[in-house]
Amino acid sequence: MAAEASLDHLLRRGLLWKGGETPANGSRMLSSGFGELDRITGGGWPAGALVELVSASSLGLSLLAPVLARLSTEPRWLAWVDPPWHPHAPALAARGIEVARLLRVKSRDGKEGLWAAEQLLRSGNCSAVLLWPARIGSARLRRLQLAAGQGDCLGVLFRPLGVERENSMAALRLRLEGDGAGLRVKVLKRRGGWSGGEAVVPCSG
Amino acid sequence: MLWLGWYFPWLPLECFGAAEAGVPLAVSRREQGREWIDRCNPAALELGVRSRMALPAALALAPGLRVWPRDSRRERQALEALGSWAWRYSSRIAFDPLLVLLEVGASLRLFGGFHALRKRMETELSKLGYHGQWSAAPTPAAAALLARTAPGSCLEVRSQLKEALAPIPLSHFTRNAGLLELMQDIGLSTIGDCLHLPRPELARRVGSEPARLLDRLLGQAPDPRPLWQPPQRFCQRLQLMAEIEEAGALRFPARRLIESLCAFLRSRDALAQRLEWRFLHRHRPATVFHLGLLKPGRDPLHLLELLQQRLERLELPAPVTDLELRVDRWQPFQEQKGDLFEKRQQGDGLLLERLRARLGETAVQGVRLEADHRPERAWRYCDPVAGPKPGRKASADHGHQPLWLLPQPRRLEERQGQPFHGGPLRLRPFGQRIETGWWDGDEVNRDYYQAVSPAGERLWIYRERKSGRWFLHGVFD
Repeated sequence: MAAEASLDHLLRRGLLWKGGETPANGSRMLSSGFGELDRITGGGWPAGALVELVSASSLGLSLLAPVLARLSTEPRWLAWVDPPWHPHAPALAARGIEVARLLRVKSRDGKEGLWAAEQLLRSGNCSAVLLWPARIGSARLRRLQLAAGQGDCLGVLFRPLGVERENSMAALRLRLEGDGAGLRVKVLKRRGGWSGGEAVVPCSG
Repeated sequence: MLWLGWYFPWLPLECFGAAEAGVPLAVSRREQGREWIDRCNPAALELGVRSRMALPAALALAPGLRVWPRDSRRERQALEALGSWAWRYSSRIAFDPLLVLLEVGASLRLFGGFHALRKRMETELSKLGYHGQWSAAPTPAAAALLARTAPGSCLEVRSQLKEALAPIPLSHFTRNAGLLELMQDIGLSTIGDCLHLPRPELARRVGSEPARLLDRLLGQAPDPRPLWQPPQRFCQRLQLMAEIEEAGALRFPARRLIESLCAFLRSRDALAQRLEWRFLHRHRPATVFHLGLLKPGRDPLHLLELLQQRLERLELPAPVTDLELRVDRWQPFQEQKGDLFEKRQQGDGLLLERLRARLGETAVQGVRLEADHRPERAWRYCDPVAGPKPGRKASADHGHQPLWLLPQPRRLEERQGQPFHGGPLRLRPFGQRIETGWWDGDEVNRDYYQAVSPAGERLWIYRERKSGRWFLHGVFD
């Protein structure tokens, strides 16, 4: 009885999962808008959680475009903390993103950027927070993950190659590579499911 | 009529912002060519310092004693600030030395009775950093006298006055030393003694002055006092006990100024939107900065938090000697609607303010589309809360443009007439021509292409048609 109950408990919290099953643990998924991606991630982006996109050159924005477009219909901000270049608003608008929801935050150093990201994630006033951190430790990642849960906010970290082996609290970690007209996506980690899935997603921008 | 008198016995010390310290502090006054201790704080009392002690003796007892000469200008300002605070509770305010009088009879119902009002004021005073003792009486003179000598008296009707005033020694009745001596010579020592004498008799013996004072005390003669009008702008300075070198340590003294500002605003039913802070240094120009609120407010905790954010990244050029807070303009208070949307908006405002206070005013921006075909002018950063402008819809050709734009077009190297970026760039066949801006002197004549670098990056580049030069302008994801 007790063993069963605790098994149930583990399943519910997503600490344990059943092979081949999409997460049955109540964590909500936001469809990415790409069938291939939804398939290998078990439904898309995890709501109220942290996602890491690992690539050589901050790739992944086009992968997020459909979900950002959908989230921008909510009266909440889409915050960009220390993006590497200017978000090109007309092109974003052409993808259906309501640019009036964009909030660009520019910090003077990485520490302030992380602080700002945590505030934004936790506030409940952002539907998504995108962050390009120079460096981030596992303790801080954990805090951001908690903040994303509190604020019911999709948090996306763009990270350089070389961090794949670091431990991470993120609910989903993907490695991205340019591949012709799209992105080759490999699942490094996925909460409540198998990692290792791979697909080429026909996104571009 | 019911007058409430607040007497601030420690104001000469407290106006130096010194009330909270564990350090021995005192103010001194000069008399007969010598300096005497006038008032000291509990820390000094513990070391044996007493009021009316000669300054050298006090310093011998407590070598670490900090002493300021009494500063009447500063005391007046502090009292005036307390008047501003009291203005919230009554529009009839008068002053006596170290004393604020307010007529509360008219506002008792509004504040839930006398004791509710008094308790509320007491709580606020301790936040402001002052210790006050109170009494209430039907005449202002009696309220003042009782606040000094018999704090905590509340006389609501005139018939109680005689009895309450009778035991008060005459030294509190008049400051005129000659008159006091004269009265004591004829055997009078308390107010009660004077009240026993018939008025003509009293006047015959000691002149008309005491009789007039008595009549005012008892409300038998009018006691007109000029009605005080509060100042129209807030400006308050706080001298620090010790110079502060580290910005974070300014939080505590600043809190007092903020409480004082909020009391000032409440008394006017007003809200502030822009606070000016000045940190004064000994040999340098003051450090001045502004803290703006997205929506006018007067919540001390919020204002303090905003300041805190700023203090955390403030580098002080020199130690701070004084703090000053100014607010020149304010806006009338408006009741907030409590619905969910408003609450979310309010939370939103607080969030943006917090970010701005810490990162700087321009660090947090929204984005807006502009009607222009030049990619660098087809959008711009804007104030995130300015309210959405009727958005220009993006046209279809933007669909071929990248999601990232470089801050400036970057000149590309050329080899044999071909653009080069870590290797020769491979151009995709379909280009886009942008020709515009001839009317504003910033003419643009460009052919844009998608290009792939040897490293596999997909770039957005253009050739300037006039010069034939290549530029990198964006990055595809």
